[in-house]
Amino acid sequence: MTNHRIRVILWVLVAIAAIGGIWIALQPPSPASRESGLATIGGPFTLTGSDARPFPSSRLNGKPAAIFFGFTHCPDVCPTTLARLVKLRRQLDGGDNAMSIVFISVDPERDGPAEVGSYASLFGAPVVGLTGKPDDIERVKKLYGVFSQRVEQPGGYTVDHSASVFLMDRNGHFVATLSPDEGDAVALAKIKRLQA
Amino acid sequence: MILRISTLALLLLASCGQQEAADIELSNAWARPTVGQAPGAVYLTIENKGGQPDRLTGAFTDHAAMAMVHQNEVVDGIAKMRMAGEINIPARDRIEMRPGGTHIMLEGLRAPLRSGDDFDLVLKFRNSKDQAVKVTVTNPEGK
Repeated sequence: MTNHRIRVILWVLVAIAAIGGIWIALQPPSPASRESGLATIGGPFTLTGSDARPFPSSRLNGKPAAIFFGFTHCPDVCPTTLARLVKLRRQLDGGDNAMSIVFISVDPERDGPAEVGSYASLFGAPVVGLTGKPDDIERVKKLYGVFSQRVEQPGGYTVDHSASVFLMDRNGHFVATLSPDEGDAVALAKIKRLQA
Repeated sequence: MILRISTLALLLLASCGQQEAADIELSNAWARPTVGQAPGAVYLTIENKGGQPDRLTGAFTDHAAMAMVHQNEVVDGIAKMRMAGEINIPARDRIEMRPGGTHIMLEGLRAPLRSGDDFDLVLKFRNSKDQAVKVTVTNPEGK
């Protein structure tokens, strides 16, 4: 290979790198990565709604959403969390319409569309109840980094599961989590920021 | 003099050993409404007005197939619900069950709990006799 040919090849490489660099610089920054470094949490999914029809996550776009993973045979933590979200949402401008509250079952074995639907209707305000085939649920759990595990108990089984709520903006991008033990003032401030 | 003091001390010690027994009072029992086959959770306050501790050993109700004392805890962000075993009720103290902690889980409810309903629940203690309390079903937000 002559010196001349090597020089041409190097210049071509330089040109490619320059064009690539300009192209990357011209890309608009993704809103999720601008707001937090945890942009990998969440993503599009399709589950089953309480009407037994497919529910694509794009239906949540247009307003913020609070997503909670639980199960209908959960008598304490799940209703406590959902009731708290309903109460917090009432304090927002726009009230019940200001944010979607989404309950995703991690117990698809017991929770069909009818079960999640009637459970979601317990709270006297709109709550979206979702379930799906076990594989679909596993996929969504992975998207959100959610843990759940069946634990045998006398009289049935319970499910250990992540207790956090995922707050998503109107474009379906992850913004923050709500933990059960943070005070209502902090929780409300986080939720209000979603609306901004 | 020394004899007198030691007699007094002995009397005091003897009276300590004869403190009044545990005196259990139940109040503020409530549960959220339920749907379908889902279990319910009862929260209540157990007050021990007596001078001796006691232990909650179990719960019964005709309203459900099983009533179990459960303990919820969040470990590393994971909510776990387990049988609680016996719960100590210290002398002159109270246990207030609140959502997210200890509760009486009702599995196999005869009928879903509806706001405004009430039903009887009996708690069993190691020393005190059984105590009954009326459980009120609140609105979904609970107390």
